[in-house]
Order: sequence, then structure tokens, then C-alpha cells
Amino acid sequence: MDFFEEHKKQIMLAITAILLVVILITYGKKKNATIIESALGFVLTPVQELTTDIGNWVGSKIDWIRDKDNLATENEQLKEQIALLETENKRLRRYGIENQRLSELLKISQKYANYHTVGTKIIAKDPGNWYDIFLIDKGKQDHLEANMVLTASNGLVGKIIETGETYSKAQSILDSRSSVPAMSLRTEDLGVVKGEYSLMNHGLCRMEYIDSEAEIIEGDEIVTSNLSDVYPSGITIGRVKEIKTEANGLTKYAIIEPYVDFKHLDTLLVIGDIPEVETPVETPAEPQTETTTEPQTGTPEVEQ
Amino acid sequence: MRIFITAIFIVLNFLMQSTILHYIEIRGVIPNTTIILIVSYALLRGSTEGAIVGFFSGLLQDIFFGTSLGYFTLFNTITGYLFGRGNHNFYRENYLLPMMLCTIAVFLYETMIYLTSFLFRGQLNFLYILSHTLLPEAVYSCIFTIPLYRVLFGTNEWLELKEKYKHRLF
Repeated sequence: MDFFEEHKKQIMLAITAILLVVILITYGKKKNATIIESALGFVLTPVQELTTDIGNWVGSKIDWIRDKDNLATENEQLKEQIALLETENKRLRRYGIENQRLSELLKISQKYANYHTVGTKIIAKDPGNWYDIFLIDKGKQDHLEANMVLTASNGLVGKIIETGETYSKAQSILDSRSSVPAMSLRTEDLGVVKGEYSLMNHGLCRMEYIDSEAEIIEGDEIVTSNLSDVYPSGITIGRVKEIKTEANGLTKYAIIEPYVDFKHLDTLLVIGDIPEVETPVETPAEPQTETTTEPQTGTPEVEQ
Repeated sequence: MRIFITAIFIVLNFLMQSTILHYIEIRGVIPNTTIILIVSYALLRGSTEGAIVGFFSGLLQDIFFGTSLGYFTLFNTITGYLFGRGNHNFYRENYLLPMMLCTIAVFLYETMIYLTSFLFRGQLNFLYILSHTLLPEAVYSCIFTIPLYRVLFGTNEWLELKEKYKHRLF
């Protein structure tokens, strides 16, 4: 112990140097957690899951007390909406079948392929204030891999950046390091949806590199484009809230309001090349990503 | 015994900060209890233990929420080391000093993180970050220091008393 006390400064310098080297070596390259990390995760993630569950339960009780009076009216409205959506859905399904037949006739591959999905749950969030990283409760055991895409019931949430044995680390699209190739659904104008720190806490993000002559307007729906290796095309991201021209005058950028409410997320869907598992998925399948029985036609975007 | 209790504090703090604390965030800002833990340990026990606590709490954060191993570990270790330097020179029963030092530590720590990671990616709006993250977080952490320092101080007193009897020092 005396040795440590005497050479404290030198030891601190050595630790600093070693850590700097480790930072540079591991930066952004880790896709799989090591055995030690997985073992730690095996011990810690169940506790996190438990505390998150308790927090969610208390939160939902508080919400219930607060919104007790509005629930009946909201229920009525939702029932009406469901009836409307059901008829709409039937109509669209007919279109889908027709589309499939026609494209089979024409021998072209489907633009919006069918992906396999599996349900998962958020168990912990980044303890700092800088980034938007969270842990989900499924990992390598459930055949998840880095770069699989996460969605909630109404839009894109993010992607997995590292998998452990029983948990995965994921990055949301609001994180300032995330960028998603995207396009406007109406005009097919391309851009890149990036997270930005000043918008993160408001639940917004930013679409950059839009051509200055693009006909994108407020309220346009933004979906993922087919230019990405990671994100399959056609997943909804959000709606354009505001359009501004960049200082250089050559490109525009837009403030995007994602459909997903990032403050109240708990269950998610993972999209990717996951083998079918017997365990039932609790969350209802998302419209864009139906798990129907059609054979997978050539979809180079899905496989990473 | 001391090692065991310290480990429990580190793990418990990590679990709380990544789950429960997010429910009491104010405008997206949560108090940095990790820094409070490190600085309290550094003040109570000196720079060596401050650095050790910093190392392991940073390692946990890196493993589960970092993109490169060692980033938070480095900053937390240095924080623990620097703030433990003068621990012999003051009365630790005093609450004002830990509160002040924790506030300063949180502020400096987050500024360093901004400088080393955000500035390089072209985020130049320091004033926004100052007013929306750094200052609120420092104030919020300052308030959280009072109960946490109380708990850590009490535990430390108890442990020191036990160690005294064990080694028959007096």
C-alpha cells in the first residue's frame, strides 16, 4: 500500500495513458459485448428491469389519477377511430394483394419487403444528460445483432449498436451521433435525419442535406430511404415541422417531429433477419412491417 | 467490509441513475449522482479511494452506455483523484464544502465532456448547452448532494469506528 501512496502521480499518469489507448482502440468498433460484459449484464439488467417496471407502474398510476375523467370520452373517440381504421385497413389489404399479384406478373421485387419482427422492452436509459442510449431486454440469445432496427408501433426509434448475451445497447434517432438516410414520402426528396443535442430534449430531430429546389413542405411525411445499409426503406420517421434554408443557400434543412413519443416509450419492435421464435409477440404488428407469409423477395437493404 | 459496501454503493448508484432518476428529470436534466458519489468518497477518504470509485463507476457506465471503452472511466478517475487531493485540510462534518465542490465538479466534468466530444463534432452552441444542461445539472446535483453526502458520511463514520475496534487502534 505504501508503494501506491508514494507513486500516486505516476500511477495516475499510467492509468490515464492506458485508458487513452483503450479509448482509441475501441472507439465505435465494438459490436459484440465481451464475456465479462455479458456476465455483468446478466446480473444487472434484471434489477434494472425491475426498477423500471416499478417506475412505470407508479407513473401509470399517477397518469391514471390525473386523466381519470377524460378516459370515458377518449374511449368513445378511440372506438370510432378503430372502426374507421378497420375499413381503411381492409381496403388497403386488397390493394396490397393486388400489388403483389401485379408485381409477380411483372417479375419485379417488392419495394417494401416484409420483415421479421420481435417485441422487446426498454429496461434502462443513459445515466448522463448528453446522449440518448438505452438498453433493451433481448440480446444474442434471441438472435439480435448490432445494426438491427428498432421501431415502436408508429415509427422509427433507432438501431442496436451492441449486443450482449441477454441485453442490447441501442441508440435512438434523437442521439446527436445518429444519422438516418431519409426521404419525403410525397415528393421523394432525399435527405439525412440527424439527431441534434438542442432538439433532443424536445423530442425533435433535424433533416439535413435537402436540395434547395426540393418541393418539401411543412406536414410532409418522412420515411427512411433505400440508400441505407442499416435501415430498411419505407419505415415512417415523422412529420416535417419547419423548413429553413441553410446559411450557404445551397441546401435546406427541416425540423422533424417523430411520430414516436420518446418520453413514454416502453415496448419496441426489433426488425431484422430474426428466425421465427415460438414466444408470442405481445405488441400488435406494425402496419409497415407485417409478418405475413409471403416469400421474401430480393431485399438487399435488409441484410446488413 | 469497506470494499463490499463501496461496491454496493457504486452498483446501486448506477442502477438508480439509469432507471429511477429518469422519472424525476426536470426539462430533460437529471442530477449527476455518480459525480456526487465520487467527490464524496474523495473528500471522505482521499484521492486514492476517490480514483478507485471513479474508475469502477465509470467502467460500468462505459460498458452499458458508452460507445468506446474507457471514456467515462478516464474522466471519473481523474475527477476522483483531483478532488481528493485536499481532503486532510478541512472538517468533513461541514456540509457546505461538499455541496460547493460537487457543484464545481459536475460543472467541470460536463464541460470536459462537451469539449472532448461535442466540440469536435461541430456543436458550437456552448451558450445553449451552458444554460440548458450545465447550470441546471450543477444546481440539481447540488441539491442532491445533501442527502447523499449525509448517507455516505454516516456509513463512513460507522465503518471507521468498526475498523478502529478491529485493529485496536485506541
